[in-house]
Formats: sequence, C-alpha cells, structure tokens
Amino acid sequence: MNRSAMQWLFEPPSIRDMAPGTKVIVYAILTFWTAFVLFPIYWVLITSFKSAIDVNSGPVYLPFVDFQPSLHAWKELFVFDFWDTLSAYVNSLIIALSATAASVIIGSMASYALARFEYQPRFGVVFMFVLVMVGAFVAVGRYGVDWRLSCAAGVAVFYFLARALGRHFKARLGNGDILFWMISQRILAPIVVVVPIYMMFQQVSLLDTHIAIILTYTVINLPIVIWLMYDFFTSIPIDLEECAQLDGATRFGVFWDIVLPLSRSGLAATTLLVMILSWNEYLLALFLSTSRAQTMPILVAAMNAGERGILWWSMSVVIIVMIIPVVILAIILQRYISKGLLLGAVKG
Amino acid sequence: MTVVLDAVSKSFGSVKVLHELSLEVQDGEFLVLLGASGSGKSTALRMIAGLETVSEGRISISGQDVTDALPKNRDVAMVFQSYALYPHKTVAENIGYPLKIRRMNRAEIESQVREVAAQVRIDELLERYPRELSGGQRQRVALARAMVRRPSVFLMDEPLSNLDAKLRGHMRAELKHMQHELGITTIYVTHDQVEAMTLAHRVALLEGGRLQQLAAPKTIYEDPENLFVAQFIGSPPMNVAHGRLDAGTFVIGKDRVVTGGTETVANAVIGLRAEDCQVVPPEDGAIRAQLFANELIGDHTLVTAKVGDDMVSIKAPKEFEAGFDEAIGIAFATDKLYLFDKDTGARIRRT
Repeated sequence: MNRSAMQWLFEPPSIRDMAPGTKVIVYAILTFWTAFVLFPIYWVLITSFKSAIDVNSGPVYLPFVDFQPSLHAWKELFVFDFWDTLSAYVNSLIIALSATAASVIIGSMASYALARFEYQPRFGVVFMFVLVMVGAFVAVGRYGVDWRLSCAAGVAVFYFLARALGRHFKARLGNGDILFWMISQRILAPIVVVVPIYMMFQQVSLLDTHIAIILTYTVINLPIVIWLMYDFFTSIPIDLEECAQLDGATRFGVFWDIVLPLSRSGLAATTLLVMILSWNEYLLALFLSTSRAQTMPILVAAMNAGERGILWWSMSVVIIVMIIPVVILAIILQRYISKGLLLGAVKG
Repeated sequence: MTVVLDAVSKSFGSVKVLHELSLEVQDGEFLVLLGASGSGKSTALRMIAGLETVSEGRISISGQDVTDALPKNRDVAMVFQSYALYPHKTVAENIGYPLKIRRMNRAEIESQVREVAAQVRIDELLERYPRELSGGQRQRVALARAMVRRPSVFLMDEPLSNLDAKLRGHMRAELKHMQHELGITTIYVTHDQVEAMTLAHRVALLEGGRLQQLAAPKTIYEDPENLFVAQFIGSPPMNVAHGRLDAGTFVIGKDRVVTGGTETVANAVIGLRAEDCQVVPPEDGAIRAQLFANELIGDHTLVTAKVGDDMVSIKAPKEFEAGFDEAIGIAFATDKLYLFDKDTGARIRRT
C-alpha cells in the first residue's frame, strides 16, 4: 500500500518511534524551550562583564562583537569589596548548609515516626499546652519575667496539669491531624510571623547571628521535609522493616540500615529543595541580619539601593557566584534521584 | 525449641480476632497453622514473632516467657509471604544481614553465607540484587536468610503462595527435607490444605479465631472433631447430606441408613469421603441419588450426584460411564461414615 507524504511525515512507524515530521516539531519545541530557559543565565553572565555605558545604552548581546567585555564589576566585588563579599558568601554557606542538614535530619526522623507509629494525643492536653505557653509568653512580654524562668515554669505547670486532668479528655487527634498541622505552618506566609520572630530573637539577644537564621530556616523548612518524606516512608513495604526487626535490628538500626538507603532518592530531592529555599531566602534574612550575619540575597538586593542607581553589573556577578554551589549540589544529588529502588523487595 | 501459647487472645479495638488459642509446639516439630483468610492464623504467627502485641495470655519460647519481648530478643526467624528481601542489598548482604547485626566478623559471615547459600543452591547468585532474581530464587534467598543464624524457631507466613504451581510442589518437598535435616522447630501458616497435609507433623486448623482441631494430618483427615474440619480437609471436601438421626438410623428422604449407634438428633448431617463411596445400581445402594455430572480426572472418574438438596462427589473407577440425570445408588461401609449435629457442628460419635 502506498503511503502519502503526510502519512510518512506524521504517522509513527511503530509505537516506540516518532514519525520524522513529528520528530522535527518536537525537537524544535525543545530547542526553543532550552534557549528560553538558558537565556536569562546567559544574560546575567554577559551583564557581569558589561560596563555601565553598555548596560544603559540599550541591549547588546554578544561580547567582543556588540561590546567590549570588562572585568570591572568582578574586580570591584572580589578586590575592593573582597571581605564583604566573602563574609556574605560564607554566611550563606554556613546558614544554608546547617539549616538544610538540621531540617532534613530532624524532619526525616519526625516524618518516619509519623509514617510508622500511631499517635493519639488528647485534644484537651494539646489545648492546655497552647494555653500555658501563651501564658508564659504573656508573662515575659507583659510583666518582664525572665524568659528562662517563665518557660521552665510553663513546662512544669503543663506537666502537672496534664498528669492531673489529661485522662479526663476524651477527644483525640491522629497522625493525619499532626501532619496537617505541620504543613499548615508552611501554608502560613512568612511575612505574617516575621515581626514576632524578630521580636523573639531581639528578646533573647540573638539578632544578627547565624544561629537565629539557622533556627528560623530549619523551622520553616521542617514542614516541607516532613511532608515530602512522609510519602517516601509510607511507600516502603512494612514487611522489610518487620523482617529487619526479626533479624535483630533495633528501631534505629531499621531506620539506618533499611529505611534511609531505600528513601535516599527522596532524601536527595528534599535536600536539594530545602537547600535552594534556604539559599535564596530573603525576607527573614532581611529582618534577622544587619551586618555580621548578612547573606547573599541581601547582598544582591543591596546592589539596587546605592546612590549610584541599580548596579546591574555587580548584581550579575553576585548572582553568578551565588548559583554555583546550588548547581554543584544539584549535580551531586541528581544521580541519587532515581526510580525503581524498591524493585525486587516484595512479591515474585 | 518448644513454643507454648497459653490462652492467647488478640483484639483489634473491639474486634476479637483470636480466641484463647492454646498450643504446645514440640522441639523440632513442624506445625502448620491452617485456615481460611481471616481465621486468625497470620495474627497468631505475628504474635509469636513479636510483631503484634498480645491482648491476653502468655507466649513462651524454650521455656522463657517472651510475651512482652521485642522481636529481636526472641531468637525467631521469619520468612514472609512477600519474601521481604532488602532491595538495596545483594543476595550475600541479604543473607548476611542477621549476622552483621550480631557483629560477627567479616570472614566468618562470608563463610556462613556461602554454606547456607550452597544448602539452598543459590551460591552462584550471591553478587546479584533481588530485582535480578526469579520468584523461586527470591524464595530461596529469604529461606537462606532465615536459616543462616540457626534460630530456635522458624516462622513461615505462606512462603510458597507467590510461586507457580509446579515450583510450589518442588519447594514444598525441599522445605520438608530441609526442616528434617536442620531439626528446627517450625511454625508454618498456610491456607492450602495440601501444604498443610504434606508438610506438617501436626496441623492446627483455625476458623473465626478459634482452634478447631490440633492433630496429625492423618488424624485430622480420618477423625475430624467437627463438621467444619471434615469439610475443610480433603479434596474434594467431605460429602455431607442433611437428614435426621432416629435412634441410630439416619433418615434421608425415603432412605434409611443404619449407622450402628443409638442417638436421636433432629438436625443431623451424614458425612462420607468421596473415596469411601461406590456407585452401584439404585436398588443396591444405601442411598439413592441422581447423577448430576461425571468428570474423567485420569486415574478415576469424579461422579457428582444429587442426594435430596445436597451434592455429593464419588470417586468411581475411570471406566465408569452414565448419562445425566440417571438414577444411581451409593454404597459404603458403615464404619466409613461420620455423623454430625447440624446445630452445633459437633461430631456424633457412635457409642
């Protein structure tokens, strides 16, 4: 049977292959999209080599053709302002890595617990805890009680209240409620809590320190880690864990030997996401740091606040050095983000 | 080692899935927990393993109370229905895992893994990952991992049910041989009565969370305690016909069968194994029946006939031929028949 030109062009020869015409269209779209995605990076890169005149006198695209590249912006940041740049860079690395490590470690253990154990806290006890803690905060804020004393007293009061009244409450919460409560902490926009957080760290004199920003980032990223890892942990067949227990492993041994290796693709993806979020975070860093703990996003933003107008070239330099660690981390982690890890675990 | 269950019960919320199960498994015995799904057999096994808490009663292994002990402190090994191989570990690492946890040195682990692997004939597969193995091979790996540390007790939860029929028969024989060689007490859960009958020293038949009978396969087949056991064991299941027992004579429609006893029971059930019946001309049979279908199986013909409202199966010689709806008679020796009380299900033993 004779096939027409159109059929030859667009009818796939088999279910696995694409017709030549389709292939051309698909690759054209992909090429366009690649260029579309990569262009901003290219633009930032060449802008970092432009002089003020090249930037302001209209778009120029090709180095050596359209304009003469110069290293003035690089020099400015790495020679004249070297210590400022380095300090921001080191701050960013310390803060992002610590916050990522803390939230991934704590978060994955928390979400494993949620995936495997059943919790049934009594609603009334949880409510009491919130009440007591509000009381403790009021005592600190309103009556100037020392915060350490107030917290300790709050915990003690809660303990005795819970012991005395706890069993009278009937309504219970479940794992689903806890999980939703966690994620609701992330749904809440950070702008809402930024002032309270600021005041809290002011109260304990931790403003403009690494620890304040690390703690804050850890807390805001925990819900994401818990939410993402929960899915990975529940997808691991419980048989494997029971079998490891019978083989003699402790609870932690099961987590370490079986659960962690099997969820490493999830861990890699989550780590990358949390790392990027912490690395790029601006709003909280703006409030919590003034000079010593300043991070890279603050440095970038500072480039448009000078009396010389927006320093596009300097900003581009900072952006480029800023994306390098994330790219490196992505390259390292992407080989762990693979599918089919659980293949062969169960069934014949 | 011995395993003793003393009136063990299990409830999930308000649902009681196991009622006061008491068992005593002897040292080196192969005990099969047999039952349909939902009979509580897997729950019982998981309680012995320590994977489920015990609601009531005590469990002890080799004389030690382990009711509240952690799984790892019970010295039991379990083969799961799903095999539960660690997918990120090679076959050798899978088998060696229980030893690694016990901090055995590397050389020792390797030699023991090799030894066990040779026993179940997977020594060429040690470097492979579970995903690269066939169902039968995975099964052997799971078995080897359970064997490697010489536990006091083997627990097996339907280990053969994911294999195809041919392989299952083969593995069954291997399992039986291996258990005999190792001499390790084994508790084996299955819903397959053929597995139970062929493997077990003793079978514990469970239904609705209650132990129906605990006996050797031969006893459980030839001397069932109640109607449930009689109908669960045997292929085809035991034939039953409903009627009444009148001073030792079983009345079924117009037929009267002298049973040799003296009891009177209003709702009674007569039971007969297919192989204990013969098809005879209608006038010679103790019970008259109407032929429903006959199927040539190979070495015999399976005749299905209607007795009143009940269907019965009879094993007839392979030469047997008859038309549909033909009247036939069923003959049997009186000592081959079983009588049950319909209301309680209990066996009526002739006095």
